[in-house]
Amino acid sequence: MTTEILLDAPRNHYRPRHIARSELAKIVTLRSTAITVGLTIAACLLVTTLVTHGALHQQPRFYQGFDPTQESLAGMITVALAGGVFGALLITGEYSSGTIRSTLAAAPRRPLLLATKLGVTTGLTMAFCVVLSFVSFFLGQAILAGGGAPSATLASPGAARAVVFTGVFIGLLALMSFGFGLIFRSTAAAIAGFVAVVFVLPLVMRGISEASVRYLPTNILVGSIMSTVVQVRGEPFPPLAPAVGLVLMVLYAAAALAVGAVLFVRGDA
Amino acid sequence: MITAHSLTKRYGDATAVDDLTFEVPAGEVTGFLGPNGSGKSTTMRMIMGLDLPDAGSALINGRRYCELDWPLREVGALLDAKAFHPARTARNHLRWLALANDIAASRVDEVLDQVGLTSVAGRRVGKFSLGMTQRLGIAAALLGDPGVLLFDEPVNGLDPEGIRWVRHFLRDLSRQGRTVLVSSHLISEMALTADRLVVIGRGRLIAETSVADFIARSGGGSVRLASPDADTATASLTRAGATVLVEDGGLTIGNLTPSQIGDLAARDGFRIYELTPVTASLEDAFMQLTRDEVEYRPTGMPDVLATERGV
Repeated sequence: MTTEILLDAPRNHYRPRHIARSELAKIVTLRSTAITVGLTIAACLLVTTLVTHGALHQQPRFYQGFDPTQESLAGMITVALAGGVFGALLITGEYSSGTIRSTLAAAPRRPLLLATKLGVTTGLTMAFCVVLSFVSFFLGQAILAGGGAPSATLASPGAARAVVFTGVFIGLLALMSFGFGLIFRSTAAAIAGFVAVVFVLPLVMRGISEASVRYLPTNILVGSIMSTVVQVRGEPFPPLAPAVGLVLMVLYAAAALAVGAVLFVRGDA
Repeated sequence: MITAHSLTKRYGDATAVDDLTFEVPAGEVTGFLGPNGSGKSTTMRMIMGLDLPDAGSALINGRRYCELDWPLREVGALLDAKAFHPARTARNHLRWLALANDIAASRVDEVLDQVGLTSVAGRRVGKFSLGMTQRLGIAAALLGDPGVLLFDEPVNGLDPEGIRWVRHFLRDLSRQGRTVLVSSHLISEMALTADRLVVIGRGRLIAETSVADFIARSGGGSVRLASPDADTATASLTRAGATVLVEDGGLTIGNLTPSQIGDLAARDGFRIYELTPVTASLEDAFMQLTRDEVEYRPTGMPDVLATERGV
């Protein structure tokens, strides 16, 4: 009797593309997504404008070791915070609203569901962050050049690398937060975890071990990823090389996601 | 067809569902009855693969939920009224669900119409009343036109008209050959809706039977007798193997039919002023069978229940 009802069902089974379309529809149909994206872009460009503007018309001494690329990426710090919130919300929002039950009812193969959800999240956040990183760079350079301060182009040494890496790095921060979301399932806890790692840990660790600070996400971002000036002079603990820093961030995000994935796949929903 | 086999779920020391085995056949409405905290929702969550059983299995047409090819086309579930993001509109919620299982977009408007939500389809779910949310949950369950349907407390928050609607709706679905499992704590509702009952208490199976059998089995069908010769009657009836309960108004007699009592009266000479067959309600049967299985009970309550039944 049931087979009769099921006759018109297509053959085989649901695929990642079905889940991906569904996940995209979920993201697009929430007004908060548009608001978050809008506010993030506005905050990023505002900070970049203010910081680069502040670097105009300074004493010559100010421009010794001046890094126009890093200056123009200042707004991306706000994107790190927004990305952390957005990454966590993508999963904790499902738990707090109860949507997760509908999601799992539609796609109960949890590894497949999670992999697809992660793929969609990665694609969207990476694309958004990298594009915004370029926009921030061009805006900053335009302001610096317009005000007569030293400026850079994408052809300047390390500039293109810094712009792309900054976008990717912040995308990775969002993914780490997504992992926290999987672990804690509560928006408040996940965001608290993210803020603790990204904003609190650097302050605490400085007092404990100066040598370890450069391995923290925030310090990698500012010291290794955004920067194009290699500051080695007399520093006991120089920043990590950009590629090393990026790999380390990949490992951090992977660790959070791995713990979250195990809990998600093995646990009760 | 749903089959639960030795289904067990523990939370720490507490066993929510304990070695539960039952079947939900197609073509009938099976009522899933039990006091609060008896493990109904946990069982349904395990059927849906949301909670993982510690032992045993729950199969839908012979497969675990997570093995289904197109889950929403095979199983429709209303597990919890709160399964929607409040900021999404009703239509958008059904749309993303439809996309996940490659269900035609036209189904979204069909099921919205079926549950009477067409006029509010574009409204945010957060503004919905409990009844509207419940209807949306039913619409979501019907989206993939599934052969198996699970409803956890579907009439919760519905007005009388809505309750009537759900009742007919469930019957129609089962007549179409679908498997329908409905949980409820509203016993009277089950009496009107269900053909079969799966009754649990403290996570254990108490009865799996038809509604009629359930009432009969739990000692229903007593006879009330009013007689001025109560002592003679009691002696006579007890000798004949009846259970007799002496109360102010008369005797409550079990195990004998009114005609047998009449014959005994003629033989042993006790007068009958009134002889009334009493059919136990589903509620009585339920109370009797789950009396020891109610987990949360104020200390004064057992006596009240006993007096109500005249024990």
